Amino acid sequence: MTEHIRIAEASIDRAPSVLKAYGLGSCVAVGLYDPGTGFGGLGHMLLPDRPDDSPVGSESKYVDAGIRQIVNDLVRAGANRDMLVAKVTGGANMFETSYQTLINSVGARNAKSARRTLDLLGIPIVGEEVGGNRGRTVEFDLATGNMLVYCAHTAEPVSL
Amino acid sequence: MPFRELNNVQMDILTEISNIGMGHAATALSQMIGHPVHLRVPHITVTDISQVPDYLGGAEKMTVGITLQILGDARGNIMLLFPQESAHRLLGELLGEQSKALIMNEVTISTLKEVGNILASAYLSALGNMLHKTLIPSVPLLAYDMAGAVVDYVLIDLSKSSDLAMLVETDFTGEPSSDLAIKGHFFLLPDPSTLEIFLAAAGGQQ
Repeated sequence: MTEHIRIAEASIDRAPSVLKAYGLGSCVAVGLYDPGTGFGGLGHMLLPDRPDDSPVGSESKYVDAGIRQIVNDLVRAGANRDMLVAKVTGGANMFETSYQTLINSVGARNAKSARRTLDLLGIPIVGEEVGGNRGRTVEFDLATGNMLVYCAHTAEPVSL
Repeated sequence: MPFRELNNVQMDILTEISNIGMGHAATALSQMIGHPVHLRVPHITVTDISQVPDYLGGAEKMTVGITLQILGDARGNIMLLFPQESAHRLLGELLGEQSKALIMNEVTISTLKEVGNILASAYLSALGNMLHKTLIPSVPLLAYDMAGAVVDYVLIDLSKSSDLAMLVETDFTGEPSSDLAIKGHFFLLPDPSTLEIFLAAAGGQQ
């Protein structure tokens, strides 16, 4: 079964499901996986850090809060917290920028937030394909833990 | 002001403002192409940001996005989106040569940016005249990629203060005899304070 994870959404499932996020730009997709139980989750997050006071919207809109939500959901579902591994992709800068400061890569900040959050949680990143100026579509196969990253301008996907 | 608080009258006002702005943009574009083009705003959609890629034909649809900042008395962003085929047709009209597929090079990129510039300038100047505000577009930036990837940058900007986005859908139509079928989407993304300025100036208070 293939599940479509939209912008600002995160979801968990179990092998042999496939989780997909289409058309990531500056957004990041973080996949978390427990190879032992086959439980895994994918988040399609668009902002780096959830503000402490009056945050707008769901946890899964924010990279840090979204990752925590996926981890909690996975543990609740029966995944082994200590076995979790992460794969990170997205975080592009789609527009060549002459006014750098204003859109100065939210993408880069999203990727940084993902690394920092995973580091704090002690979850190793076993695959990463971030940055650049290309859009990506992500396919996270929970049967294998394999993550395929497709780009519009190249034929072959990158396997993480 | 979050978009969910807009009532029908205010939505009508924004649609009308956009129609007038697009009318001016159409005139400018017609002069550039050399034959009449009509731009019409059938409706404004307010939708959850996670649904936006679906309105653009799906997150993976190849799309040209041109983005400009609104500068002056009001702040915000404008993004113009053309599906691949429409951008291709538009370039055919403008450059007078029909390549088999959409090719991105210095000429085509700068042509499309110029279209963005013309549309945004005409739109903003009409809007500004009506509201007695000075609105100036910044230099355009362009990306050609999957719709979801092109558009998520504006959604990110927007999502800091809201979970909803406002889309101004724009149809381009040529003379009945011509086969100019170009579709585009126009995002007007006023900052929350700017949206209030627009509505207040247009007399749309509740």
